[in-house]
Amino acid sequence: MNFETFDTSYVNKLRAGDGPTEQHFTTYFSELILLKLRPRLRRPEQIEDVKQETFSRALTLIRSESGLRHAERLGPLVNSICNNVLMEQYRSSGRVEALEDEAAERLVETRRDALSLAISADTRELVRNILDDLNARDRELLRAVFLEEQDKDEVCREFGVDRDYLRVLLHRAKGSFREMYTKRMDPKRRRPTGG
Amino acid sequence: MNHQDAIQEMAVERYLLRELSGASLEAFEEHLFECPECAEDLKAGFAFIDGARAELSAPQRVEVPRAKKAAKWTSWFSTPWVLGPALAACLALLCFETFVVQPRMRDQLAQAEAPTILNPLVLANAGARGDSVSEVTAREHRSFVVSLDVPSAGGFAGYLCSLQAPDGTVVWQTSVSPEQARDALLIRVPTDKTKEGLNTFLIQGIPSGGSSSGRLEDLAKYQFQVRIQK
Repeated sequence: MNFETFDTSYVNKLRAGDGPTEQHFTTYFSELILLKLRPRLRRPEQIEDVKQETFSRALTLIRSESGLRHAERLGPLVNSICNNVLMEQYRSSGRVEALEDEAAERLVETRRDALSLAISADTRELVRNILDDLNARDRELLRAVFLEEQDKDEVCREFGVDRDYLRVLLHRAKGSFREMYTKRMDPKRRRPTGG
Repeated sequence: MNHQDAIQEMAVERYLLRELSGASLEAFEEHLFECPECAEDLKAGFAFIDGARAELSAPQRVEVPRAKKAAKWTSWFSTPWVLGPALAACLALLCFETFVVQPRMRDQLAQAEAPTILNPLVLANAGARGDSVSEVTAREHRSFVVSLDVPSAGGFAGYLCSLQAPDGTVVWQTSVSPEQARDALLIRVPTDKTKEGLNTFLIQGIPSGGSSSGRLEDLAKYQFQVRIQK
């Protein structure tokens, strides 16, 4: 993913309803919202509801008269709104406020979400290569933590390692994966220019 | 939380391991939504974990290490320091059998099959000759013949004839019927069965069923010197 700073120009395009900018906005923050909500909400429809409501409120706020005073705070704004919507989701009995804003309809993510993309055949192949390079103990350590979801303290005790070892192991594996993944994938989701 | 803090604290890894909570969790998530580097890193982390779950849960070819066979009590025999000398000993034994024992046996067989004039050592009257002891000289791995009489005391069911080596051990024993005892006994003695020195033939009477003692009775001892020629 190419990153460029969420500057004033970007925010102004959002306020103006620029299509490509909105597309980029929803695509970029959809993945983050999904990763944030995955451990918190069980049902996919709940995650989708919270995500849509978040975008709706964020765009409403951006396009209001007060708007967003500091463009660089766009990301924290989206996060903050998502937290509020999430709290409401927890408190409610499952009802989500009806989306009346027309703009919200354009925000429905029609492409595969980050989770689906993450376990594509290419991804599995990369992960397989990384796992094969690990020694048996490290492989079993990852299996115990992420597949069997055993208590991490118990796993560390059993394998004779500490939490730092686990974090470093994950850091290296993630780094290898990211490096290989970046080499394979073409640049996508370029930020819209011009206009 | 700024980007440097996130790096130093390994915040992405802690987040992936669900080690963050409360204020630290809120701070990292706020940073996540404004830092594309950490966002990209987190996405890669989740993608790796999801892929790892799929790979680790898939059935894979695993090379199962061969189970070590339980050591048998004979396993010590297969060790080199035992097997080598054992094989050498077997070879030596084979050579001995082939080049020594079998030729000797062939000679003995040939001797046994060929007509031979016997020249027995007569022991029949040795006891009556006082201190004189007969002497026989025989070649190694050959034999000699002795002749002895069984005393004609009656009342025995039979007789026991024993050959005693110089150290007193009984090296050979046979029973003699009363009918056989009427004539002199001719006994072929292999030199391999005897030892050099003073050997003794002992004749004992086996009591009949009407005897009250039931014990063997010494009837005669015939001593003779054996010399073995090599």
